[in-house]
Amino acid sequence: MPRTSRFEGRLLIAPLTAFLIALLGFPLVLDIIYSISRVGFENIRAPEPIGLSNYAKAIADPEFWAAAWFSLRFGLIVSVIQVVAGLGLAVFLAPLFAKRPWLIALLMLPMMVAPALVGLMYRLILHEFVGAVPYYLLEWYGDFPAFLGRDWAFTTLVVVETLQWTPFALLILHSSYAAISPDVREAAALDGARGRRLFLNIDLPLMMPAIGITFFIRFIDSFRVFDNLYTLVGPGAGGSTTSMSIYIYQAFFKVGDIGLAVAASMLLLVASFVVLWVINGLTARKAPL
Amino acid sequence: MRKPLVNALRWLVFIAAVVILNFPVIATLVTSLKSEAEIMTNASLFIEAPTLDNYAAVFAMADRFDILHFLTNSLVASLIGSVLAIALAFPAAYAMARFGVGRSWLLPLAVNLRAVPLIIFAIPIYLMYQQVGLLDTRFGLALILCLVNVPLVLVLFASSIADLPLEIEEAGRVDGAGTLRLLVYVVAPMSLNVVAASSVLAFIYSWNEFLFGLMLTTNSATPVSVGASFFFAASGGGVRWGVAAAVMILATLPPLILGLLMYRQIGRSMTAGAVKG
Repeated sequence: MPRTSRFEGRLLIAPLTAFLIALLGFPLVLDIIYSISRVGFENIRAPEPIGLSNYAKAIADPEFWAAAWFSLRFGLIVSVIQVVAGLGLAVFLAPLFAKRPWLIALLMLPMMVAPALVGLMYRLILHEFVGAVPYYLLEWYGDFPAFLGRDWAFTTLVVVETLQWTPFALLILHSSYAAISPDVREAAALDGARGRRLFLNIDLPLMMPAIGITFFIRFIDSFRVFDNLYTLVGPGAGGSTTSMSIYIYQAFFKVGDIGLAVAASMLLLVASFVVLWVINGLTARKAPL
Repeated sequence: MRKPLVNALRWLVFIAAVVILNFPVIATLVTSLKSEAEIMTNASLFIEAPTLDNYAAVFAMADRFDILHFLTNSLVASLIGSVLAIALAFPAAYAMARFGVGRSWLLPLAVNLRAVPLIIFAIPIYLMYQQVGLLDTRFGLALILCLVNVPLVLVLFASSIADLPLEIEEAGRVDGAGTLRLLVYVVAPMSLNVVAASSVLAFIYSWNEFLFGLMLTTNSATPVSVGASFFFAASGGGVRWGVAAAVMILATLPPLILGLLMYRQIGRSMTAGAVKG
């Protein structure tokens, strides 16, 4: 590599690098400084170092752990359901998509809607007087639950999130299923593999990397859930639906405790590094496939 | 004998999936087309007397809640955010693919950034914005939308540029074209597909972004994803559900139409982004 082109290369990545330093690097430094300081809006330029007490406060806060547990449970449950449902639909509907590819567009539409708006829509749809869902449940079963009450809020949110993002799993898994060469299936069919056996022994192993990636992407996205949760229930349901993102948002905007909010952010960052480390470890092992 | 039956079942499952997955939009659209009176008496999915009154009412309350203002904010910030993301990521992706510069740290950083909840940076960004006067400005919001989009766009460009044939660029070099000229006149035209696909996806993601819109704007730059909820409280007392439904449909229409028209490109970008990431 001649020296001039190295220089040109650096020049080409310079704008992006500068942008990332300004909007990621600098905030990260601020995060670290504020997390070990006593800081409020009055001394925002001159934070006063106090060691790790913000972290201690976050770790001692039962609501912090409730939020972490909520995010983890929510993320795991919705990603498992989405992958299973997406896989089922992708495989079962594959013959339809093969003939008419545009059909999949109708199933991709939910992903085009802002999750925040989806949350708002459910406020209407689940409303006890004007909502369509209570109306039909009443018609058919004579009763409906308090969807956003303490007992049902979690389930409601799982359904809302699952319905919006199963299409993502469907899309990725469909393209991975469609990419399996017909030769492989024909060879297996010659050996007598059919129906379920063909699927379990041939298709599923070949789709495993895509299934893993889909699961991780869905997990990461739903672990940090904020938008639909905020617009649908907010801090309601007795705090039983506070995710990590909501916890940090509230610590900052509602309580005004900058130190706590920032320390919680840093703990969340560490948690995401752990997740990433696990994912990278797993995918690195899968790479030779 | 069994074949047509299974096929019919497939269609049945497909139609059920379309209705169930799109139910929020369908039910909201239905409500938006009912009169205020009908909404209170008929919660079913069938409309007795379709009307556009709610849409008229939305535009009529522009003095208090201006839907066009929110839509314009979303449009401007999303456009700037997407174009900026592409303008920053394209040359960087080229440098990574052809010169190997930054490939060892910039690409992994971008890929991993997608897994980091951006709320972690939200508070310091809010405090920074407060100091430099970017709070509640479209440009400030656009910068964040750019940040949200850069990882995906960079990953898509990096892999697509690496796939381009090197010979054409080499021929250009022999003819004495510099890197910048090559980038603009050779590489960019060959990458138009990826540029189009990733800018549509970036635009949709920007339009639908909510967290930063909520935190960094109060009124002047509020995007429609945030502004839509203002209409829930528009009448002071109870919610005017017809108006709220009409607002939600108006706010959803742009990305929905883009999604229908460009589903192929969007699907390809989403898949490539997932697999390459």
